[in-house]
Amino acid sequence: MSPNEVAERLVGLREEFDRSFAEPARRHDEEYAELLAVHAGGRPYALRLSQASGLHQNRPVTPLPGPQPALLGVAGFGGAIVPVYDLAALLGHAVPDRPRWLVLAAGSPALALAFHQLDGHVRVAAAEIVEEAAGDVGDILRGMVPLAGGTRPIVDLPAARALVHRLTGHTERTEQER
Amino acid sequence: MARRTFGTKLAGGVGITLFLTLIMGAAAVAALSVVVDAKDDAIRVAAEDLVNAERLTTKSESRISNYRAFLLSASQTSLDATNADREEFLGLMTKLRGTLTDTTARNLLDAVSAAEVTYAAVLQPVIERRKTMDDLREISQLNVSATGPARDSLRKSIADLTTRVRAEVEVSRKEASNAATRSIVVIVVLGVLAMAFGSLVAAKLSRDLRREVGAAVGHIQSSSAQLEAAAAQQASGGQHQASAMNEITTTISELLITSRQIADSAQRVSTIAEETAEAARNGDATIDQTRASISAIRTQVDQIVQHMLALGEKSQQIGGVVELVSELAEQTNILAINATIEASGAGEWGRRFAVVAEEIRKLADRTAGSAKEIRALIEDVRGAVNTTVMATEIGAKSVDAGARQFDDATHSFRRIAQLVATTNDATREIELSTKQQSTAVEQVNVAASDTARVTRESESSAVQTRQTAAHLSNLSGDLLNLVGTGRR
Repeated sequence: MSPNEVAERLVGLREEFDRSFAEPARRHDEEYAELLAVHAGGRPYALRLSQASGLHQNRPVTPLPGPQPALLGVAGFGGAIVPVYDLAALLGHAVPDRPRWLVLAAGSPALALAFHQLDGHVRVAAAEIVEEAAGDVGDILRGMVPLAGGTRPIVDLPAARALVHRLTGHTERTEQER
Repeated sequence: MARRTFGTKLAGGVGITLFLTLIMGAAAVAALSVVVDAKDDAIRVAAEDLVNAERLTTKSESRISNYRAFLLSASQTSLDATNADREEFLGLMTKLRGTLTDTTARNLLDAVSAAEVTYAAVLQPVIERRKTMDDLREISQLNVSATGPARDSLRKSIADLTTRVRAEVEVSRKEASNAATRSIVVIVVLGVLAMAFGSLVAAKLSRDLRREVGAAVGHIQSSSAQLEAAAAQQASGGQHQASAMNEITTTISELLITSRQIADSAQRVSTIAEETAEAARNGDATIDQTRASISAIRTQVDQIVQHMLALGEKSQQIGGVVELVSELAEQTNILAINATIEASGAGEWGRRFAVVAEEIRKLADRTAGSAKEIRALIEDVRGAVNTTVMATEIGAKSVDAGARQFDDATHSFRRIAQLVATTNDATREIELSTKQQSTAVEQVNVAASDTARVTRESESSAVQTRQTAAHLSNLSGDLLNLVGTGRR
């Protein structure tokens, strides 16, 4: 990386930054979808940011004994105790590495899904997302999105909560809430 | 005798013969002196004693005559003559008494003396009476009858003495003749002995001469024959030797040329060795400079390593700062994402806030990307630093190894320089030795030439020796004939 290249990049950044103030305010509506590109269990996925209520990193997780291998434990968020489940384990390909990222699913009851790597925050047009109807019970993937580096399946956080509830025996209540 | 030389034998034989001759001469001289003494004794007895005895008779007769003349004339003269005769008679008696040795003759002389005393006693009264007488007619009164017997007695005693002395003379003559005869016999015996011994020596010498000289001459003949053969062989050998010496001389000349070439080559080698030693000395200075350069390189390499380690440490610190920046960017990103999440449910203001959050997130992304690039760059730098440090340490080790090898090379070089010096000395010695060798070879060449000449002379001498040996063989044959004996 030559100094000239860096200087050019610096100039481009500065221009882009200045231009961002000159552009009209973007609309944050249905035309666009905010996505988080993540890796769970070594596989790429995408999450809808609209289905999340927060993103955290390196939160301490207190393990809980139980029959669910996907349950990593509980963690405190804003004064509430939230169970933390391994996204990779829910998707059926658990890996021994302990995930360090947590995403809080919107809605209640509160649920945190842990994944291994945050690839970035992307904003894509809604038209680019290939929608998919709800599949079988236990399938938490809804649609796909083409991103740089390949097409990623989209993890549906409510479906994940439903799966957790079903695993823990709270299917009806969950259905009622939905 | 066999051990003695012939000259010794000859001298011995001649010496013994000469000794016998000397003994014979001495015996002859002794015999002659004995004979002369005997004859002198006989002559003395004959000449003195017999003459004196005869003169006693004469004086007695003269005294008697003068006495008778006195009786006739009564002259004093006659009486004095008578007395003088008696004195002479007594003197002769005294002389005879001193010379006579024979006892019988001495007794006879005493008898003569006694008779003369008696006769004088008889005469004295007669003489006194005649002095008183004047008339011759009274002569008968003289009473001379007593004088006759006394006179006869005296005459008889004198005659007896004379006869005895005469007999002594005869005895002395006979003794002298006997001594002479004995001397003749001794001389003749000695002469016969000398002749016999001379003949013996001559015979033995002749026999030895025939035997030993003949044997020696025979040996000389055979030896001269062998000498002739040897001389012939020596002559032929001398020819071979002369040709060999010519070849040797030629070879030595070639050797001399080669030796001079070697000397020239040794001189060139010495010059080259001198130049090499000079180059080695220059190389020694270069080695010292190189050693100093190597030490400087080693120091600079150490400094490079230190600087590189410092650089790695700094880059590690930069990495830490970049980690911090990256962490900040990540946290900013998280905050931006959460702000976006929060803004999505906040209506229109929330949307504006979401835009700002979007921008913040972009900046955080870019910051994270830049931090990532910086981290990669730092990793590259650290890798490069590590590589450089390793390479530098390898270089330092190489420099150390090179220094050691250079020390070895220096040691070898100095060893080479010493060897070159030694070689130089050795080359000088070789040069000197080769020059001496050249001189020696020249001397050998001269000596070989002399030897060749001597060989030719020796060859001619051998020919002469062969001729001389042949001549000697003939001469020995002649000598054998001359000695008169055949070969034994």
